[in-house]
Amino acid sequence: MIKVEQLHKYFGDLHVLKGVDLNVAPREVVVMIGASGSGKSTLLRCLNFLEMKNSGRILIDGEEVDPATTPLNKVREHVGMVFQHFNLFPHMTVLENVIEAPVHVKKMPPDEAAKWGRALLEKVGLADKGDVYPEKLSGGQKQRVAIARALAMEPSVMLFDEPTSALDPELVGEVLEVMKGLAADGMTMVVVTHEMGFAREVADRVVFLDAGQIAEEGDPETFFENPQHPNARQFLRRVL
Amino acid sequence: MTSFFENLINTFPAFMEAAWMTLRLTGVSLVLALVIGLVFALMKVTGIRWLALIYNGYVGIIRGTPLIVQIMWLYFGITHILVLSAFWAGTIALAIHSGAYIAEIFRGCIQSVDKGQMEAAESLGMKRALAMRRVILPQAFKRAIPPLGNQFIIGLKDSSLVAFIGITEIFSLSMDNAAVTFKQLEFYTIAGLYYLAMVAVVTFILSRVENRMDTAK
Repeated sequence: MIKVEQLHKYFGDLHVLKGVDLNVAPREVVVMIGASGSGKSTLLRCLNFLEMKNSGRILIDGEEVDPATTPLNKVREHVGMVFQHFNLFPHMTVLENVIEAPVHVKKMPPDEAAKWGRALLEKVGLADKGDVYPEKLSGGQKQRVAIARALAMEPSVMLFDEPTSALDPELVGEVLEVMKGLAADGMTMVVVTHEMGFAREVADRVVFLDAGQIAEEGDPETFFENPQHPNARQFLRRVL
Repeated sequence: MTSFFENLINTFPAFMEAAWMTLRLTGVSLVLALVIGLVFALMKVTGIRWLALIYNGYVGIIRGTPLIVQIMWLYFGITHILVLSAFWAGTIALAIHSGAYIAEIFRGCIQSVDKGQMEAAESLGMKRALAMRRVILPQAFKRAIPPLGNQFIIGLKDSSLVAFIGITEIFSLSMDNAAVTFKQLEFYTIAGLYYLAMVAVVTFILSRVENRMDTAK
């Protein structure tokens, strides 16, 4: 589904990603963890070309994506993204947010899109919120709308960039529930998070990034019970 | 005081005609300025170097020189190559002038929209132009309304400077009357009252628009 080979990324002189190799299989849920500054969010953003790699290869659905020759908007139609700060469109209602891309990118007829949008809102438990504006929603509700909006393009993979980090603690659960549901439906997911409980319960594989490299990866049980890398041990001691 | 009110009443029909000219000058030039401002602001935010350089040159020259110089330059300059009525020379000069300030307003408002908005739109497969039109500009326009209103009021009052290329609007009519009657103070006060009344109307309309658009948010 996604294949990354020897990815390097610099911000100016700062070497953020130092040769990352990553494979994500269809229907797999990969959770990326690591200290802040370890490069996990940058790696995720590179997968959607919101950040441009400096070297290395990124293959989506088996095809190498070269930003110079591949129209990125076509690639992004298949790669959904959920942001830490939701980034809902404040001038559109919840339903309009969800159907914006289906109508204007996929050219879906508006009435068909509205039906599709309402079905997605029901899926994230917000069937009654279609006609309100995002400002009226709680953080957890906003993030669930953002998930529905990304799903509306029927992506083959979903990227989550710290989806619960901006939420009040009591609202984290409702977002994680929706994500668990997606995983159970077989969605391919790459999740950057600090929610270790989610990683342990839902992930097929945990990837630990340290100083721009994948220091350790494995199934969650092995990783959490018996981490090998000293920095992984130290990190888990601090967050668990 | 009696002579003031007599003058005010006696010149009322002539001033209404002059006020209509002021309104036309202002209205037409501001509509053109909005188009100029939007086009230039979009040129600046594309990130394409030579477009940004054109923008910098335009805004730099217009903001760096007095409006009266721009009016004279256009009136005496362009009429060498192109036959242009005083009205259109004045209107175009005012449009080019306000356009630079409006371009800065649009540029600032576009750039003030959180960059997560463009990222979210692009992550949904929207091309940059579509995202600009559907996501960024509606938010930027809403923020632009208060500073645009301010610029409209400035544009209305700045239209007085076309008096010097022989257009009969409020200010030039006051000058003519003052010169003939030697009642300078009275006629410039009358001019001020007409501008004050027109600005009051514009301010009222703007506050209604701002309330309706809820621009405080």
